[in-house]
Amino acid sequence: MKLLTHNMLTSHVRGVRPGGGFPLRIQATEVKVNNVDFNQEFVARMIPKVEWGALVEAAESLGHLSDLPHELPPEYENNEDFLRKVHHVLLEVEVMEGILKCPDSGREFPITKGIPNMLLSEEET
Amino acid sequence: MEKEASQLEKDHVHSVYEKIAPHFHDARYKAWPKVQQFLSDQDPGSLIADIGCGNGKYLHINSQTYKLGCDYCFPLVESARNDGHEVMVCHSLCLPYRNECFDAVLSIAVIHHFSTKERRVRAIKEMARTLRVGGQMMIYVWAMEQKRRKFEKQDVFVPWNPSPPSWTLSNTCSRGIQKSINQKDKRLALDQHSPKLAGTLKVHRQARSSSFVGEKETTHNLFEKSLRWSLFSRSLDSILDLSNQWHQRELSTFSNGNIQLDELNRGKLFEKIRQGGFMKHISNLSLRCRQNSEDNASEVAVEPGSPMICHPVPFKSCYSELGQDTKQPPVSPAIIHDCSRVCLPDLVSHQKDVKQQLKIDYHPKQSAFHQLQNRRKTDSSLQDTNNYCSMATWNKQPQRSPNGACLRYYHVFKEGELVELIEHHVPELHVIHSYFDHANWCVIAEKIHVWKI
Repeated sequence: MKLLTHNMLTSHVRGVRPGGGFPLRIQATEVKVNNVDFNQEFVARMIPKVEWGALVEAAESLGHLSDLPHELPPEYENNEDFLRKVHHVLLEVEVMEGILKCPDSGREFPITKGIPNMLLSEEET
Repeated sequence: MEKEASQLEKDHVHSVYEKIAPHFHDARYKAWPKVQQFLSDQDPGSLIADIGCGNGKYLHINSQTYKLGCDYCFPLVESARNDGHEVMVCHSLCLPYRNECFDAVLSIAVIHHFSTKERRVRAIKEMARTLRVGGQMMIYVWAMEQKRRKFEKQDVFVPWNPSPPSWTLSNTCSRGIQKSINQKDKRLALDQHSPKLAGTLKVHRQARSSSFVGEKETTHNLFEKSLRWSLFSRSLDSILDLSNQWHQRELSTFSNGNIQLDELNRGKLFEKIRQGGFMKHISNLSLRCRQNSEDNASEVAVEPGSPMICHPVPFKSCYSELGQDTKQPPVSPAIIHDCSRVCLPDLVSHQKDVKQQLKIDYHPKQSAFHQLQNRRKTDSSLQDTNNYCSMATWNKQPQRSPNGACLRYYHVFKEGELVELIEHHVPELHVIHSYFDHANWCVIAEKIHVWKI
């Protein structure tokens, strides 16, 4: 599970406040770092779609913050240095094994072989 | 009904896909061009969700975009993961995504697996929730109207054939082939003609192609398979729609020249029927099928685009008497019974000795439909009907194929049905394009802002 993926994920456990299921806390037991080709335009376009605070928090929890600022800098589109850091965090860091935890309910979703299992039981939906 | 619908999908969608996942080869399941086009048209830097991605055959398209696949089936998701895609396991009625996070959403051959209209609507709405305003969704569902064959009913069980035959039958089945098949089965019918079902069951079981992998199809096996494919069922929606009037009508149909049960069994029968009323509906359908003796095309369903095409074998009645009508291919009750965990009835002939064989055995394991019927109000008029009788024979244990559940449930869509579903029930989606493609009804819809006053 890449952090870009993680940024889209939320818990829908019944009873969770609206928005309370995001972002999921990552407890990783195995993290992999890959080499992914850098595409500046791609990264620049991706940034507005991402919840920046959640991304930073997730990267930090994995120990891969790599100088990423907590606030989005203005005019980042041409800031290659910055974009490369974002690229690394979004696309190169992968959680292979671990747990995603709903911040509101505490419900845990396992990640196995890089695949999050987001299934809820019928009672939970 | 929710629980029953969910159970049906568990039995006849989820568990089947889990079993057949290892056999999903790319060669057979290529991406459809128009879907590819839709993906390629997305802007660079788009976030795209493939809901029900299967083994991920669309996830590699357009490397300028970021795609997230999800599916209920673990093995298929694993397969997609092994190809390097970002995927997860979830249920499409409860997507684990934030609102409006995707620029585009794909739903290719997924929604037709939902067994009620309400669930189909919910699935579309759930996907629409994750789509940003201005983003587009592409939905493909199997069409009822297909070029080469026609489904008789909208709700069907379709077996999956892992090993297409080495020769494929052409669209218009050649006479030679059909003739040879008929002859082969005529021989089979003659050989197996027996007043006892048990013997026939055994022979057919032996004749049946029982392995899913790597087995070469013979014409006979092909035909048997096509017979199996002529199973059908009522949708859960339509069961609930049935009114007492309908009951009455069907009961009178029954009473016309069918089996008479002796007094001894009748009370017991009524009780069982009341409990398993749904099975009666199926019996009704089968009966009607028998009585419409002209040219009931078998319901054959194949994965659209699959190289293996089963020719529609017209035969006079869906379920003919065993061995009696030697002009027609015989239908083994074993085949029909064998292929479904939902208690579809064995149809037996109305020979005299059937009375002895007739035995209603309420299966202890409640099928989804049983439960459904239990919740319905008892129709007391049922018990009052003197001439009520049933064509159904139930084995103690509905037999399954050696491979377990092998049938996938589909609700095939009529023309306009998908569009209507969206237009009437999903105001947040605006249909911008609808068309027919490779035996699918397709829609491209845009997420719009719904203004609430």
